[in-house]
Amino acid sequence: MKPQLLFFIGKGGVGKSTSSALTAVYLASQPRQTLLVSMDPAHNQCDIFEQDFSEKPKKVSETLMVKEVNTDFWIERYLKETTNQIKETYRYESAFNLQNYFNVLQFSPGLEEYALLLAFEDTLHKHADRDFIVFDMAPTALTLRFFSLPFITLIWLEELLTLRSEIYRKKEIISKIKIAGREIEQDRVKAKLQSLIGNYEHLREHFLSDTTRVNLVMNNDKLSFSEAFRIREKLTDISIGIDRIVINKLKEDENTAGIENEFKDQKIAKLRLAPEGLTGYDVLKNYIAENQEAFQNI
Amino acid sequence: MPIKPFLKWLKTQIVEAFKISDAVMRGKAVETIEHEVAELDNIFGILVLGAFIGIPSPPIHITMELLPLMNKEFDIMLDKVLTAHDPLGHLFSVLGID
Repeated sequence: MKPQLLFFIGKGGVGKSTSSALTAVYLASQPRQTLLVSMDPAHNQCDIFEQDFSEKPKKVSETLMVKEVNTDFWIERYLKETTNQIKETYRYESAFNLQNYFNVLQFSPGLEEYALLLAFEDTLHKHADRDFIVFDMAPTALTLRFFSLPFITLIWLEELLTLRSEIYRKKEIISKIKIAGREIEQDRVKAKLQSLIGNYEHLREHFLSDTTRVNLVMNNDKLSFSEAFRIREKLTDISIGIDRIVINKLKEDENTAGIENEFKDQKIAKLRLAPEGLTGYDVLKNYIAENQEAFQNI
Repeated sequence: MPIKPFLKWLKTQIVEAFKISDAVMRGKAVETIEHEVAELDNIFGILVLGAFIGIPSPPIHITMELLPLMNKEFDIMLDKVLTAHDPLGHLFSVLGID
């Protein structure tokens, strides 16, 4: 049985980390095997659980593990792998010149969300035995780029494959005329493009499947509401639906009718404000015990 | 002159002439397509490896995935950059325009 993937997204400061931590602790108490993954480069789970985390998952309880994704690690690893492959196939001078480019490439736009995608694939691969994987996502901009990446990549790859196929077809014509149809060598680039398309289609299916559930965290204020609305629009453009709205930091008897009206198609969860703050595993457990109804519709 | 060896010699000459003519015709037939393929290869190279000649495309991870397999295209692209100051001259030369 594949793990359920819960993504906690939203504007910076609304309480994604706290909501995802509470959800992970609740699920683990059911008891379901749960992994909480911090995908926010500005990691907060270490503050919430009051312990350090790293790329290696750490056991917090019998059924709960927590890990932090290090995007620098993934970028460095990826560039290193590509450099090694290039050294095998390029002439010495070209490979030597490329090394200089790589030192700059690590800052390229697009690499950060790609690193998150690599970490995401690695997590799915290594923790397929979990019942739930809860992702505490980065603030909106990076998260939207992360979700869009498979879709944008597929558009590029399909165009490149069309062009490459056209080139190969013409080369075959030349071969037939010039050397009486002797077979030209198989195009490795075309094969690689086809393989990449397969990978990204698989990734896209993950994001569109029922096992992916997006939880949009927001507060009951105008800015948070506007951003939540824009996030929903952007996700709709790439056919990703929002499963649940988490209205966080609610004071006693606050009116949330506006939010509930706007997000009629989504489940709604209301998390009461904890003025004393929520840090420490036991504090999280107590909060859950006192606010059970907020976690019933996960 | 004996007829049979002469006819044999003549036949060999005609066959040779035909082979040469055939090769020339085949060459002419594919010249334009070869030029087109070279340009399409160049365009493909720019699309995938543009980051290395100052064009910010495509998404960097696509470049990185294909880079190890495109050493030939990489060299062609860098060569083209060097002749980029006279693209018309190059085109005229291919089309045989004086």
